[in-house]
Amino acid sequence: MTHLGSLALSLASLLALYAIATSLWGVLQRREAWIASGTHAAYAVFGCVGVATIALLYALVTRDFNVEYVAGYSSSTLPMRYTVAALWGGQKGSLLFWTFILTLFSTIVQAQNRTKNRALMPYVTAALMAITLFFLGLLCFITPPFERLALTPTEGSDLNPLLQNYWMTIHPPSLYLGYVSASVPFAFAIAALATGKLGDVWIRTTRRWALTSWFFLSVGNLLGGRWAYEVLGWGGYWAWDPVENAAIMPWFTATAYLHSVMIQEKKNMLKVWNMALVILTFALTIFGTFLTRSGVISSVHSFTQSGLGPYFIAFLILVLMVSIGLLLYRLPDLKSENELDSLLSREAAFLLNNWVLVGLAFATFWGTIFPILSEWVRGVKITVGPPFFNKVNGPLAVLLLFLTGVGPVIAWRRASAKSLRRNFTVPILSGVVAGILFFAFGFRNYYAVVILSLTGFVLGTILSEFVRGTRARQAILHENSAQALSRLVAKNPRRYGGYVVHVGVVLIALGIVGSSFFKIEKQISLKPGESFEVGRYTLKYGGIKNREDAHLAAQAAEVAVFVGGQQIDTVYPEKRLYKRQNQPTTEVSIRPTLREDLYVVLGSYDAPSQLATLQVFVNPLLSWLWIGGLTLILGTCITMLPSPAERQALALARTPAEVGARVVTD
Amino acid sequence: MRFHALLAVMFFALCSLAAASLPITQEIEEALTCQCGCGLTVHTCNHLQCGFAVPAKQEIAKQVGEGKKQEEIVATFLTRYGEKVLSAPTTTGFNLAAWITPFLVVLIGGVLIGIVGLRWNKSRRQNEPQKPIVSSEAEQYREQLKKELENFEN
Repeated sequence: MTHLGSLALSLASLLALYAIATSLWGVLQRREAWIASGTHAAYAVFGCVGVATIALLYALVTRDFNVEYVAGYSSSTLPMRYTVAALWGGQKGSLLFWTFILTLFSTIVQAQNRTKNRALMPYVTAALMAITLFFLGLLCFITPPFERLALTPTEGSDLNPLLQNYWMTIHPPSLYLGYVSASVPFAFAIAALATGKLGDVWIRTTRRWALTSWFFLSVGNLLGGRWAYEVLGWGGYWAWDPVENAAIMPWFTATAYLHSVMIQEKKNMLKVWNMALVILTFALTIFGTFLTRSGVISSVHSFTQSGLGPYFIAFLILVLMVSIGLLLYRLPDLKSENELDSLLSREAAFLLNNWVLVGLAFATFWGTIFPILSEWVRGVKITVGPPFFNKVNGPLAVLLLFLTGVGPVIAWRRASAKSLRRNFTVPILSGVVAGILFFAFGFRNYYAVVILSLTGFVLGTILSEFVRGTRARQAILHENSAQALSRLVAKNPRRYGGYVVHVGVVLIALGIVGSSFFKIEKQISLKPGESFEVGRYTLKYGGIKNREDAHLAAQAAEVAVFVGGQQIDTVYPEKRLYKRQNQPTTEVSIRPTLREDLYVVLGSYDAPSQLATLQVFVNPLLSWLWIGGLTLILGTCITMLPSPAERQALALARTPAEVGARVVTD
Repeated sequence: MRFHALLAVMFFALCSLAAASLPITQEIEEALTCQCGCGLTVHTCNHLQCGFAVPAKQEIAKQVGEGKKQEEIVATFLTRYGEKVLSAPTTTGFNLAAWITPFLVVLIGGVLIGIVGLRWNKSRRQNEPQKPIVSSEAEQYREQLKKELENFEN
């Protein structure tokens, strides 16, 4: 089966090369047959990569330890769900998985556009197949996943215990979906530049792809944070690790793009800027994967150091040269057709929003690569850690939060003093009330209270938008409030779905501020029966329970939780030892509520003295971070719904026969 | 333009408010990177029996107890382990570029947006046609249309 896999990858490489050549040749010769052949070859590439992926999965599931990758990332005792997840647990498997998703998306793009965008599609095919060819080249020549060992070990080395976690089974696929789907708007942007068809067609065609990329990057980052929170045991969820930064940078630029593209659609402005953002987002996905795989910057997340760095850098340089070259060539044709009417307008607010988001991406990029720069320039290794990113990105994020409230409510073109008063009075009041309430509830850090007030302000702007729209429908169409609200959203899912996304972002900000500024932590060693206080909780340690199976051995501490003298729960934080890798891990016990999370870690246990060391964190408002994530997901799904115009077009496309019959009858 | 100046003032005011008020031992622990390979600060290192973080915390607590200042304690670790032990770059020499560059880039970006925006605004005002002389009735309808458009957009 693995021989089939290797063969499939080689065939896929040849077919990808063929697809590029025939697509471009077909355009030059104006021969549809060649272009069609290129499209068919792209489908075949997906087929071949699919076969290779199935082959590696088969080897994993059948525990074929003669395959080096299988021996390195699984074992006979590894639960099946993690055995499947091992496909993306290692360098080679994850590259194959990336390629599989890329070819799947290429196939979907071909199918979606089989009767439209015919001028663009040959270039889109060529661009997507060129990216695929790069990854196939790595898989065929540099890091082949089907290498066999000279001797078959009796047992595999097992998957890293830190990856044997539910969140880790879904976090990498989500991120890869986000990274890879950024290739589609990029391919269309290249096609638009190459053909000179620089209107809105390529933007409208790729809007949902851009949204898909943004969605999966959001989910991937949130899942990564959840994994870090549950598994790493330090009480936090984001450490500005280089690999985390690699995932957040394209998210910043993709967010900027989703906003600035609205200005191009409404006013035909910022064409160059939007092109640049699409190119930058794709480039950052390649840069991100370079960071993760090259080992140039050490990270707890990164794959082992490999020789892939130079190839990714070379590919990135090629991508940038081609993209920027085409952009400069088409610059005269990308001139804006309109201008800003006022600096006090939604367009200006969106510009500012872009300015801050790209600033955040740059600051994160700069902090991530600065250690390398420092070593080149001064020969001195330095660290750029959380204190740097918190101090630099924090204020920018606060500014962004403020703009999140201003943007949706300020008028297009020019906001008058009257409209500003009308639209911002209630939100400002809600912000002030929120600040007072948080202060009254004991949140006494002034910076944090200002930010928390901003969350009230932003929620106020969003709520007023929903209320205003619902009331207008009720007044004009005499609908009840539930009907009016649901139809308001259905009539403009993009706008109101976007508002729901903003609510999600605000809730995430709430969780971050609460848990960052008001965290309580305590570390204590105690014997069974002893208790201690942390925050409003009293925790009583009851002793250790041991359990063991073929895969791991675990020690669980029994800890009773009291508030005001009443027992409200019992938690069981664990220390585990995964036998195959002889690696200890912590299994944190988390008791989440809307008010705060109680987070208990068993640090160590000394059997002779029965002394257990517990580390306890109280993280205020942290649950709102995950609730915000779910809200963001809901909002994105709403924005993806077809608008009334799209629904009508779909309905017409589905029933041409009926229409024809009616015409004949009439 | 006044709105944007207000925005800038708020932004820098927020920056100055952002100074955290943590216990001194925690501040020092956050200023140092754990050398065990976890990538976290000494304070947040998740290895409870960490060979670096545990003795480092003990030493920090001891030196704070002896009355030493934060800068002195950090300098001790800096001398012993080199710059890589600091969790953020210093603000001297080449390292200053780490701090200044992001704000400089954001500032330049903001200035460019302001210049482009003002230029567009000026060009629009220069290109606005002279108001034709119209009858009062037509003017009334124009005002009404303008109000309805504003309401529609808002």
